[in-house]
Amino acid sequence: MTGTAALPAGPARIPGPGTSLRLGDYARYLTASIFVGFCLFPFYMVLSTSVKSESDIFSWPPAWVFELTFDNFYAALFVFGGTGVLPFLINSLIITALSTLLAVGLGSMAAYGLTRFRVVGGNHIFFFILSTRFAPPVAFVVPIYLMARETQLLDTHLALILIYTSMNLSLVVWIIRGFFEAIPVEIEEAAQVDGYTRLQIFRKVAIPLVKPGLITTSILSAIMSWNEFLIATVITQNTASTLPVYLAGFSGSMGLEWGPYMAVGAMAVLPIMIFTLVLQRHLIRGLTFGAVR
Amino acid sequence: MSQQREARRAATILVSPAVLVLLALNVFPIGFAVFISLRHWSLSSPRPPRFAGLFNYEELGLDDRFINSLFVSATFIFLAVAIELLLGFLLAFVFNSKLRGLDTLRKLSLLPVMTMPLVVGLVWFYMLNENFGVINWFVTLFGSDRLPFLTDRTLAMLSIVLADVWQWTPFVTLVIFAALQSLPEYVFEAGRMDGLTEREIFWRITLPLLRPAIIVVLIIRAIDAFRMIELVFMMTKGGPGGNTEVLPWYIYTTGFLSLDLGYAASMAVVMIVIVTLAAQIFVRQIANPERNR
Repeated sequence: MTGTAALPAGPARIPGPGTSLRLGDYARYLTASIFVGFCLFPFYMVLSTSVKSESDIFSWPPAWVFELTFDNFYAALFVFGGTGVLPFLINSLIITALSTLLAVGLGSMAAYGLTRFRVVGGNHIFFFILSTRFAPPVAFVVPIYLMARETQLLDTHLALILIYTSMNLSLVVWIIRGFFEAIPVEIEEAAQVDGYTRLQIFRKVAIPLVKPGLITTSILSAIMSWNEFLIATVITQNTASTLPVYLAGFSGSMGLEWGPYMAVGAMAVLPIMIFTLVLQRHLIRGLTFGAVR
Repeated sequence: MSQQREARRAATILVSPAVLVLLALNVFPIGFAVFISLRHWSLSSPRPPRFAGLFNYEELGLDDRFINSLFVSATFIFLAVAIELLLGFLLAFVFNSKLRGLDTLRKLSLLPVMTMPLVVGLVWFYMLNENFGVINWFVTLFGSDRLPFLTDRTLAMLSIVLADVWQWTPFVTLVIFAALQSLPEYVFEAGRMDGLTEREIFWRITLPLLRPAIIVVLIIRAIDAFRMIELVFMMTKGGPGGNTEVLPWYIYTTGFLSLDLGYAASMAVVMIVIVTLAAQIFVRQIANPERNR
């Protein structure tokens, strides 16, 4: 962290008494714009290449002006790689939806149980769950592969659903916990006086109160499941293969069909882009497990 | 008394499903990985696995490729995380100034974070192509020859770092930005009243207050950079000459191309040990109630 002495703005926050823009402000706009341009440019490349014709894709200098064509999307959906992307897209949707549902369901149950009940070793359980966040998938592929093989679950949706559920649990538990803690205990005590059992309070009182947390964690879990590649490529062959597995399948034969290839990439990225923009307020809290709010 | 029993029953029902899933798919695989690593266990040999003692671990010490992969991983983590932190830190201060429009730019800059890593590898592979890649077009604008980004020994590593920096700098920026926003104005007022210069305020007040956020983001990034495999898969396949063969890539190819599960598992165990040690720092940071200031 040397070099920080040269920060553009020594003071962290100037209320800005002057109304006209100063030189430093222009520098800041410029820096921010260049950074955002850098962030967005690859998306432009994916999207533009996916609607370029083959000759435009390989032209030098790069074709900045080109004719739109949707042939690549047609090829990607129905032709590319024999079957097209459609079956893989469906697999991805099924596995993402079910693993998200399971992770958010089981995760919010656990979070509630651990915040509202005196569980033996509850704090240890919390930190055990947190520590699973750091499990590197590549260190788990060998045992996971053999476990799936022994249980006849290779190349099944169920295997990926269960594994993604376990990968997302830490995230769900830690985010939802913050939301449960924010509920005043009096509300639940009142419900108890009304004759609700503890489980009924969870379902009918607590869960509706943490809806924003459930939505945030659902979207985050879904994105993680949607993007996961390594486990999917190891334990699926075809029947249950997801979008990234399909995409990776062509990396051996590259240099040929960039158009359809980028069209598949665009399908993998576009829905996530929308979710990210919707979610961005909660993202930091989610990604740092509430360590930074 | 019966109320207490009901509470205990409810807590068990709520907490145990999540814990069971994690025991089955997180704890058990670690133990199983150790079990596999103590055996000659090859998928390509018709012979059943047999006990090997510490054979695989002894091999590790003699294996130049393994030593190289540790070195490559360390290089990648160091370069990527250092650049991400430095850039992210600077940009957080840029975004923290109260200027109109910066909010929108900041939100847009978040898009790379949630993008499917495989597609990140795909698009950077495409853009860095020696013959028609757009980055090389920029390079020629500056009067240089086209560069062999993915086949030169040094450039290949830097290319992977570049793709990782593209994806994760926005994350670091946003975490530090969020931390900056949460700092109370009065500490800066107090500093100014004590006659500190803006530079002194930065070094003596701002930076120490940001320390927890910096530690959190540093550890998350370092551990996640350690597990990175998608960029290598798409961009270099570990080449040229093993210069981008990070540990995850070596584990993956040993297990699923050479089919030597026992040896792959022994590397996985080493990786789990390293990650667990690093994760402890994070857990402690979160567990410490004094963490934020």
